[in-house]
Amino acid sequence: MPTERELAISPIVQESVQHNTRVVSNIRSLTASLFGVASGILGLESYAGFAFYLIGTFFVSVLIWAFLAKGKQGEYFQGPLSELWAGDVLGGGMSFVLTWTLFYGLVRA
Amino acid sequence: MNLTNMPSYLSRPLTFLGLLLLSHACYSAYEHSTLLTISPQSSSLKPTATFSLPPSASLPLDISLETILSVIMICAGLVVGAEELKPITWRAWAGKVERENGGVGPFQGLEDRLGFVDIRAKRKEFADWVRDQDSDGKR
Repeated sequence: MPTERELAISPIVQESVQHNTRVVSNIRSLTASLFGVASGILGLESYAGFAFYLIGTFFVSVLIWAFLAKGKQGEYFQGPLSELWAGDVLGGGMSFVLTWTLFYGLVRA
Repeated sequence: MNLTNMPSYLSRPLTFLGLLLLSHACYSAYEHSTLLTISPQSSSLKPTATFSLPPSASLPLDISLETILSVIMICAGLVVGAEELKPITWRAWAGKVERENGGVGPFQGLEDRLGFVDIRAKRKEFADWVRDQDSDGKR
């Protein structure tokens, strides 16, 4: 976290921080259920499914980093590690498991 | 063309195509799994050629590849089509706003104070206006 002095020298626009967090969490929740669909179709089980989710999440993070942040993650995120690379991973995991089990059951009825 | 400058109008078609591929892959996987459950005895049709798939036959490679490709396409489409991020430091953000609004930024209130008024420009403006009025009156 930046110190009080750094914040006084270069203030943070809270509105932009919230906007960026919202954009990332929108993408996360959409792609999490998408990965659930995919791993259900592929018929992944137990650890393989979670590994698929983590790899997919990392891939989406790289996409956001390249396309939206243009490689300058410090300019758009206060803590890039927690807001971009690990942001909403656990929250998206719930919707991942939901669609994973649904599509696994649908395809292998 | 730089890959990271992909135009955002590509996002919708890319996502749509990805969804199409994904639903096709899903249906293919479903068909493949029903194929495994049908045994020649239970089927009313007599198969001309007996084929036997092992019961643990995994998904064909083309369906797996189609699924993964479609997921990659949808992800790229979603990310490219998302709203732009805003810079969080005040100076970067204010500069961006000022450039986009043609010189009117969040600091306009400070720049409009009396000490910053360009008095010569205002005087010239007024003189021009008076001259205009005069010439209009004579005509």
